[in-house]
Amino acid sequence: MAEQHFVVIGNGPAGNEAALTLREHAPEARVTIISRERGGCFRPHFLPRFVVGKLAEEDLYLSSAVSYRDKGIKLRSGQEVVSVHPDKRKIILDHKEIISFDGLIIAVGGRPRIPENLMVFGDLMLTLKTVQDAKVWIRKLNETDTVLMIGGDLTSLSFTKQLVDVGKKVCFALNDDAFWPLRFDRYLYNQVAGRLRENGVEVLEYSRIRGMSLLSDGMIEVNTDYEKVRAGLVGAFFGLKPDIAFLARSGLKIDRGILVDEYLHAGFEGVYATGDCAQVFHPDLRDYWVSIGHDNAVALGRTAALNLIGERVRAEPDMACIFDVQGVQVNSSWWMEF
Amino acid sequence: MEGNIVYSTDPEDFYYVDINVPCQSACPADTNIPAYIRALFEGEYQNSYDMNRAANILPGVLGRVCSRPCEDKCRHGEAELGLPVNICHIKRAASDFRKGKAASPFNALPGIDKKVGIIGSGPAGLAAAHDLACLGFSVTIYEAMGRPGGMLRYGIPEFRLPRQVLDIEIEAVLRLGVAIETGVSVGRDMDVDELLVKHDALLSATGCYRPIPLNVPGESLEGVHSGLEFMMKVCKGENVRLGDRILVIGAGFTAFDCARTALRIGAKEVSICLRRTEEDLRVTGDEILETKKEGVKIESLMLAKEILGKQSVKGVTFFRTRPGKNRDDGKRDVTPIAGSEFVLETDAVIVATGQRPGPFEAPGEKDENGLIIADREFFRASRKGLYVTGDYLTGPSTVIEAVAMGRRAAHRIARDLTGKAFYEKAVCLKDCQPTDRKRPWDFLPRQEMPTLTPVEKRFEIPDIEVETGYLKEQSREEAKRCYLCYLHYEIDMERCIYCRYCIDVAPRDCIKLVNGVETNDDGAIIGFVETSEWEKVNAVIIDNKRCIRCGECVRVCPMDCISVTKVELVDRKI
Repeated sequence: MAEQHFVVIGNGPAGNEAALTLREHAPEARVTIISRERGGCFRPHFLPRFVVGKLAEEDLYLSSAVSYRDKGIKLRSGQEVVSVHPDKRKIILDHKEIISFDGLIIAVGGRPRIPENLMVFGDLMLTLKTVQDAKVWIRKLNETDTVLMIGGDLTSLSFTKQLVDVGKKVCFALNDDAFWPLRFDRYLYNQVAGRLRENGVEVLEYSRIRGMSLLSDGMIEVNTDYEKVRAGLVGAFFGLKPDIAFLARSGLKIDRGILVDEYLHAGFEGVYATGDCAQVFHPDLRDYWVSIGHDNAVALGRTAALNLIGERVRAEPDMACIFDVQGVQVNSSWWMEF
Repeated sequence: MEGNIVYSTDPEDFYYVDINVPCQSACPADTNIPAYIRALFEGEYQNSYDMNRAANILPGVLGRVCSRPCEDKCRHGEAELGLPVNICHIKRAASDFRKGKAASPFNALPGIDKKVGIIGSGPAGLAAAHDLACLGFSVTIYEAMGRPGGMLRYGIPEFRLPRQVLDIEIEAVLRLGVAIETGVSVGRDMDVDELLVKHDALLSATGCYRPIPLNVPGESLEGVHSGLEFMMKVCKGENVRLGDRILVIGAGFTAFDCARTALRIGAKEVSICLRRTEEDLRVTGDEILETKKEGVKIESLMLAKEILGKQSVKGVTFFRTRPGKNRDDGKRDVTPIAGSEFVLETDAVIVATGQRPGPFEAPGEKDENGLIIADREFFRASRKGLYVTGDYLTGPSTVIEAVAMGRRAAHRIARDLTGKAFYEKAVCLKDCQPTDRKRPWDFLPRQEMPTLTPVEKRFEIPDIEVETGYLKEQSREEAKRCYLCYLHYEIDMERCIYCRYCIDVAPRDCIKLVNGVETNDDGAIIGFVETSEWEKVNAVIIDNKRCIRCGECVRVCPMDCISVTKVELVDRKI
C-alpha cells in the first residue's frame, strides 16, 4: 500500500496537536504541516506577557522547526494555501504548487475580527494575534503610556491586566456586544466592568464608535456616542474570525466557520476541521457550537487526528476549559455566538 | 465580409465566445464587457457607456444594482488569479464620467405602421419599448404606478439607486418617441381586450408584485410586513413605523434592502434571518459588507416555525437547520432539526422570501393561478397578439435578466408583425492590433467601491447614495485588470518556423507545444494534446484561456505569423 500523506493546514495549538497525534498513531504516514506563519507553533495566550517583557520570545514557542524535523513532520512554514479541492484531494498553494493528500485537517484558526463598521479605522487600531503583532505593540508602547482598548475578548482582558501591571494607563471601552464570542448579560458585564475598575482601569460605556482620527501630536482621538477619548494607542479586541476565505467555492459547508459534525468531519472523506475555525454540530444540543482557547484547541486537534486515522472520538462538550475573566469564571467551551 | 470584418454564424465561433469570453457569455443581455472596459481604459467614457447601452439599455442603473453574473465567471476569479474584475463598478464609472447623451444602440429605422402596447414600465417593459421604438414601431406603455420604472423605482431604495440616474435612463427610452400613460391599471382602468383592439400587439411585462407568504402560524399578526409592500410604501414616501427590534426573514436583495431601510426609518436592532448560510447568499459581497457596516446582523441556519404574539408580533420561533447537498439549481438543501426550536423576540417581522406574478383579467389560456400562459421562446400567449415577458413569465429574476427578456420579446413581436427579422446574433471577427497589457497588471489589487463614511451620515440623510463611485483613476486602474478575453491571439502554423521565441517571452503557460487538438461536433477546439517531446510537436498553440494579452509574442515573432482578432458577439442588422 502506498504511503499515506496527511496534511494539516495551520500550525496553531490545534494544528500542532493534530500533527503530533498523527505522527504518534500513524508512524508510517507522511505528515505535513502547511503554515502561513513563519517559525514553529507558539502559544497565543502568552502574547500579553511577552509584550510587557515578562516572557522571552523563545518561551512563546511550543515547538521549533528543528523539533518537527526530529519528529519526522515536514513543516512548510511561510506558505499559504489559496484553495482546497476536497473532492479531488488536492490543495493549491500561493506559489501555484499543487499538493495531494490522503487525509486533511484544516486548523487555520482565526484572524482578528474587526466589526465591519470599524474597518475604515483599521489603520489606527492594533491587534494582538501574532508574534509580529506583539512586536509592534512592544515598539509603540515605548512611545506612549496611554492605551484605549475597544472590544472585550479574553485576550484584551488578559492584556489589560498586564499593561496595568507595568504602569500603563488603560481605558477600556466596553459594549454589551463586544465580549466575543460570548454575549454577556448585564450581570456579567457589570461584574467585569467592576473588576476592571478595581484594577485601576477607566471603563467607558458606549454603543457606537462614531469616528477615530490621528491628531497632530500623535494621539488618537476616538469619538463614541457619549464622549471623546484620546489615547496613544488603540487596541481592537473583538475576538477572532475564522480565517477561511480561501475555502470559498471549495464545496465545504461554510457558515461562520467550517461546519463539521461531532466527529469534526467536514463532509468529504478524510477531511476534518478543528480548533477555532470549526463550527461543530452537536446532536445532543441540536445546535452548532464553537470552542476557543488554547486547551480546547489542543483537545480538538487531537480529536480530529484520531478520527482521521480511523477512530471514532466525539468532540464532547464536557471538556470545558474555564477562563478567569477579571476574576469572573467563564466557560470557554461550546459558545454559540460567533 | 466588410473590409477586415467578418460576421460569422458558425456554431464553432459561438462556442469560442461562449468558452473564451466568459463574462459576456454569463451576461443575460450579452453585454460586450471586455470591449467597454477597454474603451474606459482608453478614456472613452461615452463610448464605453454606449457599448453597454447597446446591450442592456440601463447602464447607469445596472452599474449600481446589477446582480453581476459576469463577475462570477471572470477569469480573475479563478483559483490562482485572485478576485474578479469589478465589472459592475466600471460600468458605473462609464456612466458617471460620460459627457454626452445616450446614443441609440440601433440606428432608428423608418417608421412602421404598427402599434405595440406594453403593460408595465419596469426593466423588461422599458427594454422592450426601447427596442421596438428603435425598430420603427409606435409604442405606448401603460403603467399602473404614478411614475415609470416599476420595481426599479418602487422596489429598490434610493440609497442604492438614485432616482435621478433612473430618470435619465428612462427619459432616454421615452425620447425615442415612446408614449407612456401612468396611473392606469389594467383590470381597473382598462381591459386587455380593449388594448388588443387598439394595438397590433400587446406585451405584458407586469412583473412580480404578489408576496409569497411564509405559511406559518401568526403571519397575519399586526407588525408582520411583506418585504416588497414595505419597500413600496417607503419608496412612495409613506410614513412607516416598525419599532426598535426587527427581524427580516429572507436572503435576497429585497431582504437586504428592507433591513437597511428599517435602520433608516428608526429601527435600532435589525437582523436578517437566513435558512442557509452567508456563504450561500446570492446578493453581492459589497452589499453584505455595507449592510453589516450599518449594523445589521446576519443570522444563519434558521427556519421560521411560528410568529408569536396575541394581536401584535412579539417574537418568532425558529428551527435550527442543517445544510445538505447542493441541488441542481445551485442552492443547498437545508433540513430543520427537530427539537432545536428557539425564540427571538422582536417588534416587527418583515417577510422577504420572494414574490410571484399577480393575475389580471386577460383572454386566453391561464394556469391554475390565473396567470397567462405563454411560451418562453416566442413569448406568445394563446390569444393572438398577446405576449408576455419579464418576471411575469419567468418568476422573480434580476434586473439584467428582465432587460434581456424584454429585448428578446420585442424582437419576437417585431418579427411576428412584419414577417422578418431585423437583427441576428452573430460573431464579429475583426483584425486588430496587439494590446499592451503588462504582466504586473495581473497582480493589481482590486479597486473596491468607495462608500459613504462614517456610517452615521447614511442615517442623517436616508436617501443619500451609499456607494460614492470610483474616481477616474480608480476606474482606469481596475480596467487594467481585465484580461480582454475578446481578443483572440493565434499562430499561423503555415508560417511558423518553430523558433519558440514566443514561448520564451510568454509571461505564463499561455503558449503550448501540442501534438493535436480535440474538437467537438461543430469543429470547435475544446482542448489540446500537449507534448514535451519535440519530435511529436505538430503545432504551437496560444491558449487564449491563459493569454493575458500582453502582445509580447507578436512583437518577438520573426515571421510575423501571430495575428490578433477581436471576437465579439453582436446583434447584426439583417
